[in-house]
Amino acid sequence: MTTATITPAGLARRRFQQWVQSRQPRTDTLLLTQRNVYILPTRAGLLFAITVFVLLLASINYQLNLGYVLTFLLAGSGVVSMHITHATLRGLTLHLKPITPVFVGDAVLLDVVLTSPGSARFGIGLKIAGAAPGSATWLNVPALGQATAQVSFTAPSRGRVDVPTLGAETRFPLGLFRCWTVWRPAAQLLVYPKPEHPAAPLPMARVVPGGAAQSRGANGGEVEGVRGYRRGDPPKLIAWKKAAKAMQTGGDLVSRDTSTAVHQALWLEWQQCGGLDPEARLSRLSAWTLAAHRAGAEYGLRLPGREVELGGGDAQRRRCLEALALWQ
Amino acid sequence: MTPTAAFAPRASLRASWQRLPREARDTLFMLFVIGWTVLPHIGHLPLWCSLLTLVVLLWRAQLATTNAALPGRWVLIAVLLVAAGLTLWSYRTLLGKEPGVTMVVVLMALKTLELRARRDAFVVFFLGFFIVLTHFLYSQSLLVALAMLVSVWGLLTSLVLVHMPVGQPSLRQASALAARTALWGAPIMALMFALFPRIGPLWGVPKDGLAKTGLSTTMRMGSVAEMAQDDSIALRIRFDDAVPPPQAMYFRGPVLTTFDGTEWRLANFDSVARLRAPLNLSVRGAPVRYEMTLEPSRLTSLPLLEATGTAPVVEGYRTIQLPDLQWLVDKPLVERLRFRAEAWPAFGYGPQTSSPLLRENVELPAGYNPRTLAWAAALRRDPAYANAGPRALAAMLMQHIRTQGFSYTVAPGEYGRNAVDEFWLDKREGFCEHFASAFVVIMRALDVPARIVTGFQGTDALPVDGYYAVRQSSAHAWAEYWEAGTGWVRADPTAAVAPDRINRGSRLAPPPGLVAGALGNVSPELMASLRDGWEAVNNRWNQWVLNYSRGQQIDMLKNLGVSSPSWEDLALLLIGALSSMALAGAAWAWWDRRRIDPWIRQMDRLRAALRQRGLDSATHDTPRTLATRVRAAFGTQGESVAALLDTLERQRYSRDTITRPDTALTRAFVRAARGLRPNPP
Repeated sequence: MTTATITPAGLARRRFQQWVQSRQPRTDTLLLTQRNVYILPTRAGLLFAITVFVLLLASINYQLNLGYVLTFLLAGSGVVSMHITHATLRGLTLHLKPITPVFVGDAVLLDVVLTSPGSARFGIGLKIAGAAPGSATWLNVPALGQATAQVSFTAPSRGRVDVPTLGAETRFPLGLFRCWTVWRPAAQLLVYPKPEHPAAPLPMARVVPGGAAQSRGANGGEVEGVRGYRRGDPPKLIAWKKAAKAMQTGGDLVSRDTSTAVHQALWLEWQQCGGLDPEARLSRLSAWTLAAHRAGAEYGLRLPGREVELGGGDAQRRRCLEALALWQ
Repeated sequence: MTPTAAFAPRASLRASWQRLPREARDTLFMLFVIGWTVLPHIGHLPLWCSLLTLVVLLWRAQLATTNAALPGRWVLIAVLLVAAGLTLWSYRTLLGKEPGVTMVVVLMALKTLELRARRDAFVVFFLGFFIVLTHFLYSQSLLVALAMLVSVWGLLTSLVLVHMPVGQPSLRQASALAARTALWGAPIMALMFALFPRIGPLWGVPKDGLAKTGLSTTMRMGSVAEMAQDDSIALRIRFDDAVPPPQAMYFRGPVLTTFDGTEWRLANFDSVARLRAPLNLSVRGAPVRYEMTLEPSRLTSLPLLEATGTAPVVEGYRTIQLPDLQWLVDKPLVERLRFRAEAWPAFGYGPQTSSPLLRENVELPAGYNPRTLAWAAALRRDPAYANAGPRALAAMLMQHIRTQGFSYTVAPGEYGRNAVDEFWLDKREGFCEHFASAFVVIMRALDVPARIVTGFQGTDALPVDGYYAVRQSSAHAWAEYWEAGTGWVRADPTAAVAPDRINRGSRLAPPPGLVAGALGNVSPELMASLRDGWEAVNNRWNQWVLNYSRGQQIDMLKNLGVSSPSWEDLALLLIGALSSMALAGAAWAWWDRRRIDPWIRQMDRLRAALRQRGLDSATHDTPRTLATRVRAAFGTQGESVAALLDTLERQRYSRDTITRPDTALTRAFVRAARGLRPNPP
């Protein structure tokens, strides 16, 4: 809030950034061409230019033909280094791998795959646009090959979050020029609410007779009294006939479900977090979801306007966290 | 010593080099490059500076290998101040070439102790390029050029290493990348070198700016010996008719009259009377017409053949002749000149009768060379010479030099305060300036006006393209004495001791080095052919690189068909050529943009060939899917095409993949696909 005043320069800069971003459509795979690779001399490049100029003056004044040779060799190398710097990025393909969801405040690891269509590329730095220069991840891309760079940033807020703009840059080979590109990946990232810490104790589970059968019929597609094989099921529990049929069609082993009669249902509810503001409630529910998952319980989630039916396992955890992330 | 014993330390050195952390290795490499760059300066630097540089570089290397902390800023500032003080103490000034080079070397060494950020590294590199240039102030020989090429390569390699932050790139890889950068830059370099207009100095430079030890306006014992080491060309001369004999080849430079005991200086031409004193030049016989090409000497003296009587026309300069027969131009010579002149080898000049202006030619400083003065006084007392004229005295001195065990050497060693005493009475060995000095001092002691003339004597024995080269090492000092009725008479005491030096025009040659000497003893023929080859290479180097100047540029433009070239034409040509190079670079980048993965290009060709046979496919189809579809569409006649596709699938995705597409496969495929006929439905 400190820089709320709008200056013409700030406005112009924002306009420029908007224009630049509009030139860069969001995409998960970016081919670097002359259209989206930029190059400017660095401060060292300017220093180099001054050096070459002084060498030229000295050569003129002292009439040193070898001085001319040195001056022009350096000038020629500088010009060539500009082309090499540009060619280091040009032609590369940047591709963003699918991103695993994280909790607010956690580090998001972006896997970026760089593919070179030709020669080897050296000294490419990848970072979040606008981040400190020291935070870049450096990598080389082998000839006709690929290299993966990991770029990390902190998940800012809950929900579907745009992957921030990425920047790739290089100063190879002589550091006289900086060549960079700006990449706005199209992918979005799912960010779960930050689990409350320390977490409040889980609410009491209620006994729901027959409730489990209902729920399973709704979300599993399994036959009553039978469930998918879990590690540790004794062989006598396996429904061999059904398992054989299931395996013929590419399925898995099937076990008899012995707990159909009585089921403990753990409902994680919005109302149970009384007295907290909505985000804090989501945080607590997020922590409970993790705790329930760790405990191996069957649980469901009730949010205002959204309910996740009872269930267990990784899929249930994901469903619940997704619901929390995307609530309202 | 067994072979293993010989190789073991080397192997372990190599292993420990490879085990060094990346950063330490890069730093050591850079220190080595810096050391190499500074090394040729050792001869010009004061001893303390060489030692300081060595100590600092070794210290930094030790810090790098032990990964210890760098010293604080105050230490560096303190050392820098001490170095500045020592420089002041060595040279009495901080300005000028020698103190400048000393300070740059010290700065460079100290900066290595401050290498923290990338910016510091850049400062070191750019200082390095400056030091490379300063070497050319001293010598532009082929060897120096090669050594400095290695330096520039090393500096560029270090720069490349800084910009390869990942992994442990090998020095070979980095140096190959640096060499590639420089090689691609070489055409630009050649173009700019050929076309950049050679203009004169933009502002006056200190006299010592040019490192050449050419002619000078002063002479101390030893200064001509320095010149003998310098084999660069001072001037070239071509004669219209017959070539005069070597003993007539005296090129007259500054005439030194004033002697303060250690140094000979120019006479003062402070009064109009002195400046306007009559020359009284009388010549006999036919003149020698010649054309001279004079290298820039930064002096105003024009070393013309004796005795050039009429003013040569030198474009851009006014020429005047002093009463001492020396020719001058109105400003220092900073570019190569070419002009015509004529000289009379047989001549006489100077006042015929005694004049007060001659008095300065008998003055000797008090308190110097007392034994020589006593020797001269004793000679005067000798009845045989009591009333001898100048000519007889000169002849007597020549005879003395010839018979009293004097010898000619370029390395006579140090001479002290009373140099003439030591030379004339004790050591009796020296080179031209010792002989000339002693001769003039004794003549003056005998009350005969005498002075020293400096210049060049003799040329190369064989002409190149009709031109005889006169080298800086042909620098010479001789004497003149005055005789009533005759005027000034040349006397070259060196001729008395080393007639070869004069008659054959053989130059002052430094003693051969150890290797050359040994080789010369073992196989003179090999030595001679090596020397000839080296001379030829050197000559080409001189012709094409060092002597390339405005004249050659203009000639090149004439060959290109420009009628009356000027430097503006050169500039336009340079701009045009650079612009087209820039366009070529842009075109390359544009072409490179369209370059795609060769595998994709190959697949595109295969798919195009199939499309012509009526089989459409998508970009994401793999060779295997294509093979399946070919078999389905064409049946058995498509088998060969499908087999090629299977091969391609293996080449790309199986365990033994190849890195580049197989062009033979592409060709075979296109040929085979042409033969496909759609299956009868």
